[in-house]
Amino acid sequence: MTTTTPSHPVPAAAAGHPGTAATARGLTRVHGRGDAAVHALRGVDLDLPAGRFTAVMGPSGSGKSTLMHCLAGLDTPTSGIVEVAGRALAGMDDTALTLFRREHVGFVFQAFNLLPMLSAGQNIVLPLELAGRRLTGSVKERHDLVVDVLGLRDRLGHRPAELSGGQQQRVAIARALVTEPAIVFADEPTGNLDSAASAEVLGFLRRSVRELGQTVVMVTHELDAAAYADDVVVLADGAVRRHLVDPTADELVAALRGEQVR
Amino acid sequence: MRTVLLASLRTHTRRYVAAAVAVVIGVAFVVVTGMLSASARSGMTASVGVPYAGADVVVTGLDGPDARDLVRDAAGRGDRAAVIGSTAERARVGGRLLPDNVTVGAVADDERLQWQEVREGRLPAAPSEVAVDVNAAKTDRVGLGDTVRLGAGDRTVEAEVVGLVDTPSAAPGTDFLLTFADLETFVDGLWVTSVVYAGPGADSVQDRTDGDVVAAADHVQAVQADVTRGVDVLAAMLLVFAAIALFVSVLVIANTFTILFAQRARDFALLRCVGATREQVLRSVRLEALALAVVASVTGVVAGTALGALVIAVVRRSVDDDVLGSAMPSARWYVAALATGLVVTLVAAWLPTRRATAADPLSALRPHDVDVRTTAGRVRVALGVVALAGGCALLALAMASHEVVPMLAGGIVSFSGLLLLGPVLVPAAVRLAGALASRLAGTPGRIATGNAVRNPRRTAATTASLLVGVTLTTAVLIGLASSRHTVEEEMDQQYPVDLTMTSDTPLPDDLLGDVRATSGVVDAVALPGTTARIVGQGPVTLLAAPRGTTGVLRGDAGVASPGPGEVWLPDGLLTEWPANGRVTLEVEGRTRTLSLNTGEGWGPAAVVAPATLAALTDASTPRAVWARADDGADAEDLAGDLDALAVPAGAELVSSLGERGWVDTQLDVLTATVVGLLGIAVVIALIGIGNTLGLSVLERGRENALLRALGLTRRQLRATLAVEGLLLSLVATVVGVVVGAAYAWVALRTMVDVLTDDAAMVLPWWQLALVVVVAGLAGLASSVLPTRRAVRTAPAAGLGMD
Repeated sequence: MTTTTPSHPVPAAAAGHPGTAATARGLTRVHGRGDAAVHALRGVDLDLPAGRFTAVMGPSGSGKSTLMHCLAGLDTPTSGIVEVAGRALAGMDDTALTLFRREHVGFVFQAFNLLPMLSAGQNIVLPLELAGRRLTGSVKERHDLVVDVLGLRDRLGHRPAELSGGQQQRVAIARALVTEPAIVFADEPTGNLDSAASAEVLGFLRRSVRELGQTVVMVTHELDAAAYADDVVVLADGAVRRHLVDPTADELVAALRGEQVR
Repeated sequence: MRTVLLASLRTHTRRYVAAAVAVVIGVAFVVVTGMLSASARSGMTASVGVPYAGADVVVTGLDGPDARDLVRDAAGRGDRAAVIGSTAERARVGGRLLPDNVTVGAVADDERLQWQEVREGRLPAAPSEVAVDVNAAKTDRVGLGDTVRLGAGDRTVEAEVVGLVDTPSAAPGTDFLLTFADLETFVDGLWVTSVVYAGPGADSVQDRTDGDVVAAADHVQAVQADVTRGVDVLAAMLLVFAAIALFVSVLVIANTFTILFAQRARDFALLRCVGATREQVLRSVRLEALALAVVASVTGVVAGTALGALVIAVVRRSVDDDVLGSAMPSARWYVAALATGLVVTLVAAWLPTRRATAADPLSALRPHDVDVRTTAGRVRVALGVVALAGGCALLALAMASHEVVPMLAGGIVSFSGLLLLGPVLVPAAVRLAGALASRLAGTPGRIATGNAVRNPRRTAATTASLLVGVTLTTAVLIGLASSRHTVEEEMDQQYPVDLTMTSDTPLPDDLLGDVRATSGVVDAVALPGTTARIVGQGPVTLLAAPRGTTGVLRGDAGVASPGPGEVWLPDGLLTEWPANGRVTLEVEGRTRTLSLNTGEGWGPAAVVAPATLAALTDASTPRAVWARADDGADAEDLAGDLDALAVPAGAELVSSLGERGWVDTQLDVLTATVVGLLGIAVVIALIGIGNTLGLSVLERGRENALLRALGLTRRQLRATLAVEGLLLSLVATVVGVVVGAAYAWVALRTMVDVLTDDAAMVLPWWQLALVVVVAGLAGLASSVLPTRRAVRTAPAAGLGMD
């Protein structure tokens, strides 16, 4: 599913382009009705290039999480089209969506990433086990590679409660990567971590893009975290404000500041 | 998914303990019932055949004289025959009158038909010899060599105790065994079970008797079938209680699963996010429930087997009898018990698992606590209202028609309605009680009330289990108290006088004073009388009931004040009821023809109005003393004391206190048994309350930590949980008592009204108060363990809890 892309790709213009991991067109999402209606997304058009580390930024309530949930098939948009790994999500029933996620999507959440009763190793292979895949051959190689890249070899037997916050997030990243998904969504993965652990986790996410060729989309509101990303999508009031490719620190700050001054 | 399943089982084992205990108790109950009934069946059927071992045929349907004739006939032909039967007679050992009538039977004259086991001495072989059952010998304090006088009046037998015998429990044993020649004295009142017959003439017995003749083997089989049916009925009744316990278990287990799954909603959601389909999650939790079901059911079978074996061992040891055999229940019982446990657990888990797996993956992403609030659905409320109304209509119909079926159906339907409406009713009741709790317990009371009502469905489910137990217990207590009242009134009619001393000669004047002075006697009267002759019958002691006799009597027995022209005779004195319903009494040539009433409970005497007596004789003398005993008096002591006065005065003492005590004891035993059996369901319910509290504490870890951080002391936190436990159990209990009383009232109107005119509902206040107090204390106790856990957590740790 993964495609290796040139180091400086231009965002693909058309949906379903081989270089595009996920696409949204005219995406809206309304929570509630009537007076209580909240327009979380108001028509988002977005192409997320494959093999890149994209950060989605924006102030609270800008629709970051909703956008991610819709792209990941966790939430159903009110209107608009979502395509991930070349497949349109509209019209899939719950089971089809689940199977789709299992095959093509990885998740890293802010907190409560791991099942507390399973060991780190068991958590990592959980998606494989759910899909009924055995830990042999290429799957085993992939698993070992991911575990080694994330430095978890000697932590596999530990329970989540016995791991530090940074280690827990590394386990979560390993779990997200082990199935070689078309796209990995990370929702504020460093929100609960101190700066050292944050740097470590972000470093691993970037390595997974560089060394394993994964596509990672990270929702964050931390400028430091966004600095690790290749591209930055700035969201405001439920719409895409800017889509920066390889921004410099100054460009990024300007984009966000412009956003705030607006 | 197997990893997840095993890991969850490991992690959540402790939280399943309460649910497992509920299943274990229910299954063990079924197994113990099976063991006891199997063992009783084998023990009782094994000995049933003993009396018929030497017989060729068995004749039933004979009365005493017929049986005697058959035995004599057999002896004349050189065949062997013996009567198996008994009569209840008064007995005197040495000079001491036994308080209760004893049963008297006979041993077979031919050794080959004798079946009693001799423990000491030998069987009676000649007239004036008697053997005593070992158990009767123990209670009546009779030993070898004692002289026993059986019977009363002109039908008495005096005999020396020559042996102690044991009779197998299911065989028709009697307290005293005479030779048949002596038993013939009582042949008119003899209750004949059967006549066993052996010898060449066995084939022609049918030609010589009106009774039913059956081959001995067939008869034994029929009796065994009877015994088995009896045991089966008993087992079925026990199983009703097992069903109640299991129903309560279902409520407890379903509630446990609901709470556990609510707490694990995030686990499930996360599983869904990483790719588990709904079916996979559903299968996983169902397998978890199945694992619990298997473990709990097997444990229940093992525990039940151990408990059953223990009970059987204790019974066989303490009761000197072979009531219980050693047989194990058939494999079917075990399979049934196991299946019951499995089905109960899986049924209980079905809805909660469905609800749990409906979790939507997004909820795992929400950083906030899972919202565990629930409300009563409209459908549920509507169903509840319909069921309650329909059930009440059925109950009304039952009361009008005095039919039991609509009563049971109405009870079940209306109670189901009540349980359905629980989420509306129970929180309202808790709020009401909580208002009081807040006043008494301040902040903790307010918090407790809030906690108790915030999840109406959970609160209702928790209290429902206890409600079932308390409602049934209350209904049974009230029902039995009311029947006791009715039975007592009936006893007053049947045994109007506690103690009577009657003589066919004049009694000494100071006897009345002595009787009155005896401790335990409340009041006594002397009755004047004479000896009269019933024309065509024989002599009888004639008494007149003077004004004031009513004072020593219980109830308003007619014998206390016979009308002019009336006479009261003891049941069984006349061998034949006169065609015109009148008898003629004659005293020294003067006669009076009187309309006849019969009854019992005042000794061997005819009773007339004072005017009638005066018309028959001018010289009446004291012939009887009637006494009323204090309610707390010991029946045996009092009878002994009065007998010591009666014997020198030449009077015969009759006491009905023994019968009264016996009925009282029966009712006490019945009450204790039923309440004890229902107690099992109540215990399961209380485990359920403790479980709910415990799980709620886990769930509210963060909240409790916040409260502690805000300044709630440990003591206040403890009080909060204690008040919550108390509120839940007390609300369930009070509602249960009220509802149970209502059902008892309906049952009384439906079932007892037909039998007696005024079946008053009696509320056993003390017992009901005890139910409330016990439930309250148990509610407090159920909060102990959860409380310990809650107060141990430091506020900071609690706030960081996930």
